[in-house]
Amino acid sequence: MTLEYDDPIIELYRESFPDFARMVRRMGGSLEEAKDSFHDALLIYLEKGKAGKLQLHSSPRAYLLGTAKICWLHAQKKGAMLSLPEGFEAATPEDPDTEEREKKLLDSLQKSGKKCLELLKAFYYDHCSMDHIAGRFGFKGRRSATVQKYKCLEKVRKEIKITEIYAQ
Amino acid sequence: MRSDLNEIAQIDQYLFRQFSEEEGKRFEARLSMNDALAEKVEAQRLAHRLIRLYSRKKERGRIEGIYQQLLEEPAFAHQLKTIFI
Repeated sequence: MTLEYDDPIIELYRESFPDFARMVRRMGGSLEEAKDSFHDALLIYLEKGKAGKLQLHSSPRAYLLGTAKICWLHAQKKGAMLSLPEGFEAATPEDPDTEEREKKLLDSLQKSGKKCLELLKAFYYDHCSMDHIAGRFGFKGRRSATVQKYKCLEKVRKEIKITEIYAQ
Repeated sequence: MRSDLNEIAQIDQYLFRQFSEEEGKRFEARLSMNDALAEKVEAQRLAHRLIRLYSRKKERGRIEGIYQQLLEEPAFAHQLKTIFI
């Protein structure tokens, strides 16, 4: 695993997690549970930030602690009455059959085209600009990066079709 | 851009609700009369779910990597140890 040295998330993690772990401990939880809920909350925080939908009313640390607490209570089934933060589906499991099917599909996609998945992640998940993507993946410019993006999407779609036919 | 790539771009616009009301209605009318297009839309919807699944897996891996790295820091590890003693 390569880490960027100056990743701001490291600092946020370092200054927030011990407080959350203490909170979970007081509520009778384990370190493992604290970590899982904290990671769910961090994922929500990062996703919202990337999508430009993060509305902070206080510090990132306070947001993270609040969200992680809701995630933890929900995981303990103590929080059924709590309204979940938007983006919480990050932490909720899918229907097992769907999950299994999607896992298999993803496995075959990872074998056949990692670069395409990385490019699609950069655009649809990380919300990087086409100029940034062109530079990172070595395309001439945003136009050829855009064409490549759709070709990759087409490739994934074809792979889905082949795997579905094969599975029937 | 190739016409089939244009179609992929259009399906994206439909899935991400980027069409105007008028364009959306037109696309849905095409969709109701064209099974092949409807099939492509569903495959593309699934493709986006898989991209998200892949991305989250990677992002969770990155977060776990940060945790493991922090555990290497004596002060951080000691703090956790004293909480869960």
